Amino acid sequence: MTELISKLRTEIEKLFSEDRIDVFIAFKGADSPLRPQPAFYRAGNDLENLEYNSLCQNNLGNYLTRYPNETRIGMVVRGCESRTVNALLVEKQHLRENLTLIGIPCQGIVDIRKLIKRTGEEITAYSEHQNKVTIKYQEKKHTFAKQDVLHDSCLRCLHPNPVNADFLIGEPLPEGDPSLVREKVETFEALSKDKRYEWFSQEAERCIRCYACREACPMCYCTECFVDHNQPRWTESSITSAGTHAWHIIRAFHQAGRCTSCGACERACPVDIKMTYLTDKLNEDILEIYSFEAGMDGETQPPFAAFNMDDKKRFVV
Amino acid sequence: MMYILEKKKVEQVLSAWNKAFDVYAPQKVENYTQFLPFEKTKTVALNHAHNTRYPPKALFFPQSEIMLKYNSRLGRFEESGSKTKPMLIFGVRPCDAMAFSLMDTVFLSEDYVDPYWKAKREDSIVIGFGCSTPPQTCFCTTVGGAPFSHTGLDAILTDLDKAFSVQVLTNKAENLFKNLPPATEDQINEVKKIQRKATESMAPAFQTSGLKQKLDLIFESPYWETIAESCLGCGICTYLCPTCFCFDIVDEIQRKERIRNWDTCMFRIYSQEASGHNPRPSNKERTRQRLMHKYSYWLDHIGEIGCTGCGRCVCYCPVGLDIRAMLQTASEYESEVARA
Amino acid sequence: MHDNGHNPYKPMPMHVVRAYYESNDRSLKTLELVFDRKADQIEFFEKFNPGQFCQLSIFGKGEAPFGVASAAWEGDFVRFTIQKLGSFTQYAHTLQAGDPIGMRGPLGNGFPLEAWKGKTLVIIGGGCAFSTLYALTKHVHHPQNRPDYDQLIVVYGARTSGLCMYKHDIQSWHQRDDMQIHQAIDVPEEDWSHHVGYVPDVVKEVAPSPKNAVAIVCGPPIMTKFTLPVLVELGFSPESIFTSLEKRMKCGIGKCGRCNIGSKYICKDGPVFSLKELQELPDDI
Repeated sequence: MTELISKLRTEIEKLFSEDRIDVFIAFKGADSPLRPQPAFYRAGNDLENLEYNSLCQNNLGNYLTRYPNETRIGMVVRGCESRTVNALLVEKQHLRENLTLIGIPCQGIVDIRKLIKRTGEEITAYSEHQNKVTIKYQEKKHTFAKQDVLHDSCLRCLHPNPVNADFLIGEPLPEGDPSLVREKVETFEALSKDKRYEWFSQEAERCIRCYACREACPMCYCTECFVDHNQPRWTESSITSAGTHAWHIIRAFHQAGRCTSCGACERACPVDIKMTYLTDKLNEDILEIYSFEAGMDGETQPPFAAFNMDDKKRFVV
Repeated sequence: MMYILEKKKVEQVLSAWNKAFDVYAPQKVENYTQFLPFEKTKTVALNHAHNTRYPPKALFFPQSEIMLKYNSRLGRFEESGSKTKPMLIFGVRPCDAMAFSLMDTVFLSEDYVDPYWKAKREDSIVIGFGCSTPPQTCFCTTVGGAPFSHTGLDAILTDLDKAFSVQVLTNKAENLFKNLPPATEDQINEVKKIQRKATESMAPAFQTSGLKQKLDLIFESPYWETIAESCLGCGICTYLCPTCFCFDIVDEIQRKERIRNWDTCMFRIYSQEASGHNPRPSNKERTRQRLMHKYSYWLDHIGEIGCTGCGRCVCYCPVGLDIRAMLQTASEYESEVARA
Repeated sequence: MHDNGHNPYKPMPMHVVRAYYESNDRSLKTLELVFDRKADQIEFFEKFNPGQFCQLSIFGKGEAPFGVASAAWEGDFVRFTIQKLGSFTQYAHTLQAGDPIGMRGPLGNGFPLEAWKGKTLVIIGGGCAFSTLYALTKHVHHPQNRPDYDQLIVVYGARTSGLCMYKHDIQSWHQRDDMQIHQAIDVPEEDWSHHVGYVPDVVKEVAPSPKNAVAIVCGPPIMTKFTLPVLVELGFSPESIFTSLEKRMKCGIGKCGRCNIGSKYICKDGPVFSLKELQELPDDI
């Protein structure tokens, strides 16, 4: 057990013993060393399998909307997760006073796909130490610099530190470099219109409409998604180019000013579709036009949800 | 009969077959492999230890398939075009081939034959590729299969490093391979050894004896409350599953087509009724339906488990849920009912 | 076997021959359809059995299942009574005589008429689900079929007299001496000379004997739920109580998986089940 996990465990035990929470959402170790699973603890005495490492790839904010407001939830939050929680609080999806957030400054999530690309699928063991990641593949050990196998979203992470934690475990990390996201967006924008469309089509058309991106995203909590609406039907539900294009464009647009760039959508995708190049662009625009960044606090409405009587454009009213 | 097919000749052989057949083979896409028309890249990716991510069931049962065209002038539905050449699928893993046979019992059942499945399936040829080193997520031997099972195959390949051995299993396949050199006795022995070793390498993944009865018994139990609590409710496990066959029927007005699309019991909307009632309102009931269908209802229908142990749902679940662990927990689960 | 070269997903071309409102609030409309092709008509009536349903098909609106409301001897048409609910039924309500429509069927098992021969039939229905029971009653009425069954007792409830379907025909049933008809509405109305009250209470009042009898219950879920215990109390066994399940269906032929409950497909193994069969299904309804 790492020092971090034992500290975390002590804190969770304390929350239960002081009866401050009904459930604690964290990660647990599972059968596969590559797949720690989201875990839901309801007592302080069953924390043996508590896990925390760079393979914890899900955004736990996803589970917040499953509970009624009265449920007192404790949660581990990393930078992006904490901003997701804020974004959800802005949208009245829970009550801050019923949340206890244990923050962990995040060193990034390792992208399993990058590991597999370097070795093969049969990875049988995983460990990490400081900036190194060691795996076992076909009975041989392979060590990589963590930086080389981090998920793309984490490489460009702006805020690795939780912004709203009740307390932190670990030392705060330096903030990320905003020019990296801009660079990514600009690289895509520099392509010709046809090239951009080709790139978009190639990504979108692999889609199998499993909606793992939607289900993995904490901000996609609508009871009825637009693709499931059938009177009228807004998009084709088939895996035609019209259907997949519409899904990927509209999904991204619904995230404008709400996405916290956690990258959970891409990590969930079973066919490796890139999606953050769209949401990153939207985030950049929202920042530039409205000086707004999703989830930095728990009160400010995202620009497209805010309404102002003296708005210059009258189309809303 | 066993023949030897040199690896460097594979593409040449497939090119020749392409005249009489629509040949499909696993090819590299991004970081994974997928069955695509051989013509597309004229290459074959059989070097991966892992199976294709997208299941080859899609070749007989496409994810989106035109069922009927609508003739608005006559106000009638009409059959859409038919295929020309029979399909030859090269490099199908035994789990996926076994799944074809399972799907046959649904789509070719005696009361109603599905004409779309039948048209593609009936004259198809399926050449298998046995698994010499089954990955750790595989569990075919637990559910009645084997890494070199013959079910649903016309021939099966074994990887002999520089060449494949080809065991011909049907007359249809004999014609395809009869011009290849036959395997030597040493090669035949080598193949046997590889196949035995592969099968022996696979330990039982969970207990199947009495599992169906147990699942039926614990249908109402709290087991389901926590077993899939982290489930996101996406369609990965069912869409990548080689035996899941649920579909939806929709009309695409602009195209004047009636289409069927894969559907999944893991989606909320799947069981949502117009009245507002949903008999499977949460992931608990939906996960239960998925497991019960495969490990209980299939047994009621045909006496076989509706899962072939391909492990895709284990590999690609975004929250790391593992059907093997869920079923092992079920078989060990002591319910109130079970104790009574 | 349907594998005689034809496609079970392809709707038969039909035309509306008569369309009329069934209720004074225009929420229920009856469509009578005739076959465009003689061969379809012959095949349909060879297989048809009351209790079966068809998928009506309107391009752009999709398909929806409806129980057949006519008996084969009534003529070479097929009758459906459609309640206006969603987009499909809204469109169906605009159809008039001469309009084309697609139809697949007959689908499902229908009532087990063979097994019921020699027995008393207690037919209990409410709302528009009575349509298939109307077909059953009409079937039994035929002089050739009537001797196959003992007594015929019908209990039919509607919320108001204006919502009573097949009015003129059912009116004439009161004059028949080969059956009993008990009509009910939920609240009293002027000029209503029959029962007032909910179907389960009317059944309790009528108290049909379970002796050599089967009871067939079709109606809104709430009516069915409260009628079943009344029948059990009267002494009907779970094997002698039948009901028809309405479930979200798509293909209607046991392929698409939508209506799967336990090891059954409602569309293919049902929609008619005995209470005993239902009790054996998992609680997934």
